[in-house]
Amino acid sequence: MSGKFYYAEIIGPGAAMFDADNDGDLDVYLVQGGSIDSQATSPAGPGGRLFRNDLVINPDGTRTLRFTDVTERSGIRSHGYGMGVAAGDFNNDGCVDLYLTNFGPNQLFRNNCDGTFTDVSRQSRTDDPSWSVSAAFVDYDRDGWLDLFVGNYLSWRAASSMPCFGPSGRPDYCSPNTYQPQPSRLYHNNHDGTFTDVTAAAGLAGDFGPALGVSTADFNGDGWIDIYVANDGQPNQLWINQRNGTFRNLGLLSGTALSAHGKAKAGMGVDAGDIDNDGDEDLFVTNLMGEGNDLYINSGSGLFEEQSARSGLGVASRAYTGFGAAWFDIDNDGRLDSLIVNGAVQTIEALRRVNDPLPLHQRKLLFRNLGPSAGSGQATRFEDVTARGGAVFQLSEVGRGAAFGDVDNDGDTDVLVANNNGKPRLLINNVGARNHWIGLRLAGGPGSIRFQADARPARAGRYGNSRDMLGARVEIILDNGMTLWRRARSDGSYASANDPRVLVGLGQSTRAPRVHVVWPDGSTEEWSSVAIDRYTTLTQGSGK
Amino acid sequence: MRRIAFALLVLAAACTSEPKAPPAVLPEVTLPDLSRTEKSVQEQIGASYQSLTSKANDAEAYGALGNLLLAAEYFDAAEPCYLHAQALAPDDPRWPYYLGHVYMSRAMPDKAIPSFERALQLRPGDVPALVWLGNLHLDQGQPDLAEPLYEQALSRQPGLVAALFGLGRAALAKRDYTRAVDRLEQALSADPRASIVHYPLALAYRGLGDTATAESHLRQRGSVEVGPPDPLMVALRDVLHSAAAEEERGERALNGGDFPTAVSHFRTAVELAPDNPSPRHKLGTALSLAGDTRGALEQFQETVRRSPGFAQAHYSLGVLLAQSGRLQEAVEHLSTAVRLDPEFAQAKYGYALALAQMKRYEEARTQLAEGAALFPARREFADALARLKEGRSQK
Repeated sequence: MSGKFYYAEIIGPGAAMFDADNDGDLDVYLVQGGSIDSQATSPAGPGGRLFRNDLVINPDGTRTLRFTDVTERSGIRSHGYGMGVAAGDFNNDGCVDLYLTNFGPNQLFRNNCDGTFTDVSRQSRTDDPSWSVSAAFVDYDRDGWLDLFVGNYLSWRAASSMPCFGPSGRPDYCSPNTYQPQPSRLYHNNHDGTFTDVTAAAGLAGDFGPALGVSTADFNGDGWIDIYVANDGQPNQLWINQRNGTFRNLGLLSGTALSAHGKAKAGMGVDAGDIDNDGDEDLFVTNLMGEGNDLYINSGSGLFEEQSARSGLGVASRAYTGFGAAWFDIDNDGRLDSLIVNGAVQTIEALRRVNDPLPLHQRKLLFRNLGPSAGSGQATRFEDVTARGGAVFQLSEVGRGAAFGDVDNDGDTDVLVANNNGKPRLLINNVGARNHWIGLRLAGGPGSIRFQADARPARAGRYGNSRDMLGARVEIILDNGMTLWRRARSDGSYASANDPRVLVGLGQSTRAPRVHVVWPDGSTEEWSSVAIDRYTTLTQGSGK
Repeated sequence: MRRIAFALLVLAAACTSEPKAPPAVLPEVTLPDLSRTEKSVQEQIGASYQSLTSKANDAEAYGALGNLLLAAEYFDAAEPCYLHAQALAPDDPRWPYYLGHVYMSRAMPDKAIPSFERALQLRPGDVPALVWLGNLHLDQGQPDLAEPLYEQALSRQPGLVAALFGLGRAALAKRDYTRAVDRLEQALSADPRASIVHYPLALAYRGLGDTATAESHLRQRGSVEVGPPDPLMVALRDVLHSAAAEEERGERALNGGDFPTAVSHFRTAVELAPDNPSPRHKLGTALSLAGDTRGALEQFQETVRRSPGFAQAHYSLGVLLAQSGRLQEAVEHLSTAVRLDPEFAQAKYGYALALAQMKRYEEARTQLAEGAALFPARREFADALARLKEGRSQK
């Protein structure tokens, strides 16, 4: 922190969990900021770091986790002041590429499938110069190629940074209303390593706010992926896919733009998931201290009801400023729980009073899904289990990004927390192993229609040319008749990229469940029996 | 941290009936770190704090310090002040009422609720306390507890928008859409300016399946809040003597169209914090709206002199200079605004127009074309570009 209350320094960073080297485990990318100098033309910093996961599975099944910093040899040279990261295989070569959002031009790194990356920002035409925070790879037009949505925040420059003050005249960070929001961008994948900015053509240019969180999912159940954008201090947008390359913002009518009260909140992190196991995607948005987080329950048709009060998620979060968050089944009981990473954006006076050098830090929150409660009109209730979450939940830090994934491949979801002005934390899940699970890698893609941007021999990933089918939905039919819906995604949370594999808790069920997949192109397939307590790759075209 | 050398006060609980009496052992009154606050605020709070040494048993003195700290948003520090005031004057409803607000601001509903309940016990039927307490229950997912409080407020003050709004939201939370529509329509009838009501009303119509009416209300929705008439909280607005407080008062007057009052508040804010460009810029705006162009120009010029990186001030100055026919100077300031903030659409547009007024058409065209590409949602760039081309072809 500069002590000058530069706005950009409190917004990042994010983190990614993705398989950079196709060895079957999740590597880690940590976004970094640096220093902002009002005199310099661009911010300086050490740049983000890529860590290779050298996971060892011991003969007794225990795991030894070790990471090696491979940034230099990877060729990833990030510049600008890092904000966030998105991961997805944009060129269908079976290797996951990386998009870095910056305060400054963004960068796209193509994975060369040999442990190295090439900066293709300019040639791909995705080097958006705006201040971007969250981004998502999404195949919105069902052509089998991942397009890119980039959430842009505000127009702010260090050189023209304005001082902001609290009511007593003490200097503090400004509110987002001080600066102009910038339009987000939608880039269409041209299948040749380039993208076209289709923001205006897709109808997204006219309605925008200071975007911080992005989640893509089929919110209205029509089989086409929609885009949800959480804005800071302005109404959120729910861009419903019109199935013709355009979108329509139905945020207000859907009931997801504002709080139940009708106020725009400071939307930061966001995630979609079927928290009530009724087959549709519900939304969770983290907000500013005093506002409380929002839970939007989907009726199935893309109309939502805000149920943070009824669920217990709202009041419990009011004392915190939430950023990274996700739905994940922490205990593999078949219900999606939530972890929220917190950290203030304006000075917490109680910390300042005791001369805390970084008076923005807050604890994380952990909520367990209790399922429907008769006492709350059958609304899903959550229990605050932060106190039982372990020592790391007693740590108070300036949390921002959080990436969710099974980093030790033991069948439960771990969490990588990116802190502002502090060390990252890797939270290893110790409770998921108490129940059974299935792990699914949903693979597919054009495969043979490979793009070769240069003359070098094209390489393929571990799974050939198939890639993670982000946006694919999975129905898991348990032997007791219970049905769970999950989806493959790497977006959501805040400025971060998650494990694209689908991990489904089965509780005490030991029978191999039937699995039904709805692929992003709308086709469906079924696998009659998928082995439990292990990962299985389901490749499009190999089911029934 | 400075501390008052008082021994902890141990007071007998003054109130034996429910709800809970104040704590017997009171926390120390301490001051927050005021080192980075304005000098006027330091002096004001410091003097109030010092007065406690001679008024150790004076509830008003504690309450006054609490008020200053609450107004300055030092919520943690305000709490013990009000606790002391409450202990010294247990029959005074102000102190639990303010405590309720302190706890609400600190997101502590478990403490805010008993505080407002205590205030209501001391002043039964107090409308603001009823509404705030209702809001707290509603936020906790307890519409059944909120409704009787709003009803009671409504019985004491028929047509009270805040109570009708609360009742509408409570009905919406219970999915009683018909009742929600009824109450929220009543709220809007009582105060059509309360634009925040349109949103829950739209959702209520949506619940009834009337999407057309829902969309109509969504188009009218705004951010004008609905709160109860609240003399105690309004009084807090005027206790703090700081630039930021004066600036806020100026903004309220400006938004209300009272430009002379706005000018007065902004001027005071500038006197208190001459290096803060924000109130000076707003003073220029208020002067301009009040018709004092010369005064406005002086303030904008002083703002950019003191804060040359303030793009908004360059823009305001540029616009005013252009309106005054001083095009060359206008162009300079508008171009500076664009250079400082390339994503400042209004400045880019204003710059292009000023260039066109100076007959520097090619440069204007370049700016408009860049603007149209950079801000595709803003039609004015493409429209002006078309007009410019049309003008050239006619020539």
